[in-house]
Amino acid sequence: MKLDKLDGLLRDTLKAEVAASAERLIELEERVIMKLGDRHPRLRWFQWLGQLSASTRGARLGQVAVVGATAAIFLFVGLTLSDRILPGGGASRLSLQPVRSADGTQEVLFVLPALDAENVAVVGNFNAWQGTALSDPDGDGIWTASISLSPGRHEYAFIIDGRWWGQDPLADEYIQSFGEYSSVRYIGRGGDDA
Amino acid sequence: MISRKLCTLWIILIPLSLAVGAFAQIPLAEYERALYSIPASNPGYILSTIELGMTQEDFPAETLLSLIDRLVSHPAPPFEKEAILLGLAHALEDGLPIESLINKAFEGLARGVPLQQIERGLSVRLILLAETRDLLYSKGIFNVPAGSPQTVATAIPMLRFNRLLIHVSETIGDFLEGGGSPFEGHVLYQEVYNRLTMLQGVTLLPEDVELVLERIEPSDLTQVALVAVS
Repeated sequence: MKLDKLDGLLRDTLKAEVAASAERLIELEERVIMKLGDRHPRLRWFQWLGQLSASTRGARLGQVAVVGATAAIFLFVGLTLSDRILPGGGASRLSLQPVRSADGTQEVLFVLPALDAENVAVVGNFNAWQGTALSDPDGDGIWTASISLSPGRHEYAFIIDGRWWGQDPLADEYIQSFGEYSSVRYIGRGGDDA
Repeated sequence: MISRKLCTLWIILIPLSLAVGAFAQIPLAEYERALYSIPASNPGYILSTIELGMTQEDFPAETLLSLIDRLVSHPAPPFEKEAILLGLAHALEDGLPIESLINKAFEGLARGVPLQQIERGLSVRLILLAETRDLLYSKGIFNVPAGSPQTVATAIPMLRFNRLLIHVSETIGDFLEGGGSPFEGHVLYQEVYNRLTMLQGVTLLPEDVELVLERIEPSDLTQVALVAVS
């Protein structure tokens, strides 16, 4: 058989094959996408919960493990932070309410991130502008001190390695004094000042 | 000559100490000791005003002594230290509360501000206290000493009056120190409003706050601020 004849024969056969499959090629792309969607359908939360009981034992154990691990991490982080941000410990450990005494005096937490600092103190009208040291026992750069404050308005600033820092992000307002900033906290206003 | 002066001073001070000893938490002799350590050139005058101050209910006896002690250890010349104490003495003589002035002095010392600058700051605050008190008087808001009968509805006990006075005048002082203009009366009024309402029901009685906010106007605060800066 000559080459040009063979070429013609192959072309005709291919045309016939394509013509026979034409119907199946229509909307092939859409159908592939739909199939993929069927294999990994996006679940709503109730469908996902439903699958907890419907899926295989292995899958079910995996889901339970993920939920458990997440809960454990949140619990650990929560307890660790409560140690840092809630003074007093004991019964008040998991409480976000400020600790107040009968005369309205309140334990107020001063927090300052100062990563490379060696000494951090807070000065204000509550300590006659003489430093009360903040501590960072675990060395993570978050310095804290809990100070008893009477109800009213308190001006203060931090001293970080001898430098003054008067703009505490937790302050209620800022004022300028002797050309520098000071922070202000109001204590005793219906619990919104802790 | 010097010993004669000292004798005269002792003659004045001993009965003075005995007289006020019953009222004061800290004996006058303690202040006297501290003033001599500065050494103050006119301790008699300062002591006599301290004696006057001791009759105030809210006289900050301990913090004043603590300030004098801190000034003693300050390296500045004695006359600069005495200037600060004289400012406080003038306030006491005028019957004004000195708590906020002492706090400002403490802050200045802690910040390492030169004493002359602290003294200038105190002078402005002192003017503001006096002017604010006059403003309150002019608006019919008076004070009555503890235990005295309240003759008019707008006469409020001294302690409450002084708290209002301190907060209004300090707000004006902070506003000016922060670069505010005395002519921004409405902004200044808003600042006073904010501070008083933040302390309403905490250290200030709501009716006192209401009385002040009702009676003073932005233009009044402008007048007070103008006197302080002029």
